[in-house]
Amino acid sequence: MSMGFRFDLLLFTIALLSVPVLSDLILSKVDRRVDLTSQIVRITSTLKVENEGTDLVSEVLLAFPDNQAKKLAHLVATPNEGKGKTKSSAVSLPVEVVQPDGMPPALTFYSVSLPKGLGKGDTFTLDVLAVFTHALQPFPEKISQADIQLVVFYETAHYLSPYMVKVQSLSVKLPDARIESFTKIENAKIQGSEIKYGPYENLPPFSYSPIVVHFEGNQPFAVAQELERELEISHWGSVQVTEHYNLIHGGAQSKGEFSRLDYQARPYIRGASAVRRLVAKLPPRAHSVYYRDEIGNISTSNLWGDHKKTELVIEPRYPMFGGWRTAFTIGYGLPLQDFLFESGKKRYLNISFGSPMDEVVIDTLIVKVVLPEGSRDISVSAPFPVKQWQETKLSHLDVVGRPVIVLEKTNVVPEHNQYFQVYYKFNSLSMFIEPLMLISGYFLLFVACIIYTHADLSISKSSPSYLAKLQWDEVQAAVQQVQNIISRCLTIHDKLEASLRDLSRSGDVQACKAARKAFDGLLKDLSKDLKPLLAFLQSSPQAAPILPKVEDLVAKERDLQEKLMVKHSTVVDSYEKNSGRRETENRVASQQQKITALRQEVDDLFEIIDEI
Amino acid sequence: MAPKPITSPVPDAWYPTLSVFMLAIGLIVTASFFIYEATSSRRNRSLAKELVTGAVASVFLGFGSLFLLLASGVYV
Repeated sequence: MSMGFRFDLLLFTIALLSVPVLSDLILSKVDRRVDLTSQIVRITSTLKVENEGTDLVSEVLLAFPDNQAKKLAHLVATPNEGKGKTKSSAVSLPVEVVQPDGMPPALTFYSVSLPKGLGKGDTFTLDVLAVFTHALQPFPEKISQADIQLVVFYETAHYLSPYMVKVQSLSVKLPDARIESFTKIENAKIQGSEIKYGPYENLPPFSYSPIVVHFEGNQPFAVAQELERELEISHWGSVQVTEHYNLIHGGAQSKGEFSRLDYQARPYIRGASAVRRLVAKLPPRAHSVYYRDEIGNISTSNLWGDHKKTELVIEPRYPMFGGWRTAFTIGYGLPLQDFLFESGKKRYLNISFGSPMDEVVIDTLIVKVVLPEGSRDISVSAPFPVKQWQETKLSHLDVVGRPVIVLEKTNVVPEHNQYFQVYYKFNSLSMFIEPLMLISGYFLLFVACIIYTHADLSISKSSPSYLAKLQWDEVQAAVQQVQNIISRCLTIHDKLEASLRDLSRSGDVQACKAARKAFDGLLKDLSKDLKPLLAFLQSSPQAAPILPKVEDLVAKERDLQEKLMVKHSTVVDSYEKNSGRRETENRVASQQQKITALRQEVDDLFEIIDEI
Repeated sequence: MAPKPITSPVPDAWYPTLSVFMLAIGLIVTASFFIYEATSSRRNRSLAKELVTGAVASVFLGFGSLFLLLASGVYV
C-alpha cells in the first residue's frame, strides 16, 4: 500500500522516553471495540483502572492524538457496573480537556473525574465512548459511478495512554463487505466482518502501533455542512420546526459522467455509495409535515406514524454521488403540550437538540428558538457546551419582534440528540395582544367608515345644489322622525288591544283602565312631538312631493287612534255593566272592521313613504 | 413543583369551527352596520349605535380571523 502513516512513530518513541511517570495508576485491562459500519466512527473502550500507588487518585487521563482529537465529536465516560446492569441508567462522569505538564506534544488530554477517589489497590471500571466524524477517508479519492467506495481507517493497535496497560485487545467491526487490506501485526486475525488485534500484554505508557484498515464502505456519507433548525413556539398550540439542510455527500468524489439509465437499471451496482434516501424520525403527533426546496415541493417523500414516532422518508431530487450537494427544507408542527411545560413561575421548552435524520453528520448546527413576543428572563440549559447569542425576529402580528435564542455547535453526531431546555417568563395575557391588534385594525376600518359618512366633503358650501341637498336631508330626517313616532303609536295600539284581551281573560277592569290612562298620556306626548315636525314639513318647499302622503298618514293614524279608543271604551263599559258577551261582540264588530281597514291603509302608506 | 404541560387556551380542533362561526357573525354585524350607514339620514344617525355595532363586528371579525390564521397553520 502506497499510503504513508499519518503518525510520526519517531516522535512517539522520543516522547515515550522523556515522559515522567504521571501517577501510579495502571490500566489492568483495556477492551476496545471500533464500529465502522457507518460513516460515523464509534470507539467504545472499557478501561479497568487500578491504583498501585499509595496516593488517592480521583482522575483518569485519556489521550488522543491531536489530529484525532480534531475529529472527536462526542466523548462520554460512564461507570461500568458489570454486565448485569444496563449501561443507559448510569450517570456519565464529568470529562474536561486538560493540559498536564511534561506531556508529549501533539496529544490532547481529557480528564475523567471518578465518582470517588481510588485508594491503594482499588480498581474502577469505566466505559468510554468516543465518536469521530470524517475519520474514514475515501481511497481512492475519486471513483466513477460503477465503482464501489473504499475507505481507509487509521488507529493504533496499542491503546494510547499515559498509563501502563497490562492486558488489552481491540476489535474492529466492519460493514459486511469486502476487506481490501489491513495491517498485519502479531495477534491479528479476521473473524467474519471483524478484525481482532490482541491480546497484548504489559505495554509501557504511550505505546503506539499504527494500523490501517482499508475496506469497502458503501454506506452513504450524508454530511450536512450547515443545518439551521428553527423552533418557533406559539402559545396558541404549536411548536413549529423548520430545518434548512445544506447537504453534501462526503464520500469518494464522483468522476466521469452520470448515467441515469444505468442507475435506474441497477441502482445498487451503478451507484452503490449514492445517498438515495434519508429517514427522519420525528416526534409522535407531528403534523403539517412538508419537504421542499427553493423550487418548490419535492414529491418524493413518504410519511407514516404511530403513537411512538412519526417517520418521514425523503429522497433528494437526484441520487447524491460523492461531492454532490443539495439543499432542502423540511418542516413540521408539534403539539405544544408535549414540549412546553410550566414549573413555578417559569415556562420551559424541552426539546431534542440535533437533527432527526439517521446517521447524518452535521458540521455546523444552528438551533434557533423563537420565543413568543413578550418573553423575559431567558436562559438555556444544554447538556454540552454550545455557543449562544440572542436575536430578534419579526413575524406575523409582531410589534417589537420575538426574542430568538441562537445555539451553535460544530461537529454534531446523532449522540447529541439530547434534550435541552430554554427557560423563560411569560405573562399569559400577552398572548391576547395579537387578537387585540386584529380587533383594533377592524375597528379602525369601521371608524374610518363612520367618519367618511359623517364628513361633509363638498367643496362649495354655497352652491344651490349643495343647499338643496342639505334641505332635502333635513326633510328626510323629519319624515323619518314622523315615521318613528307613528310606528311607536302603532305599538301602543297593539298594547291597547292586548290589554283588552287581558280583560276578557281576567275580568280585571281596574287594571285595564289604568293601562288605558298610561297609554293615553303616551299618545298625547307623541302627538305633541309630531306637531313641530309637521310644521317644518309644511314650511319646507322640498317636502312638497312627500307632504300629502305624510299628512295622510298622520290623519289616518289619528282616525285609527280614535276608533280604537271608542272600541276600548265600549268594551270596558260593557264589562262594567256586565252586559252579555254576545251583545258586546256585536257592538264592537263593526268598529273592529273599520280599525282593521285603517290599519291596513296606514301600513301601506308607510311603505309608500319609505319608497319615496 | 412538578412541571405542568402548557396547552393552548382553546383546543386546536375547535379552530376551524370557531373561525367559521365568528366570521359569519362578524360579517352579519358588519352588514347591518353598513345598512344602517346607508339608509339612515345623516341628521338622525346615532354615533353611539354606529360605534357599538362597529365594535361588536370588529371583536367577532378579529377573533374570527385569528382562528382562521391558526386553523390554516399560521401560528401567530
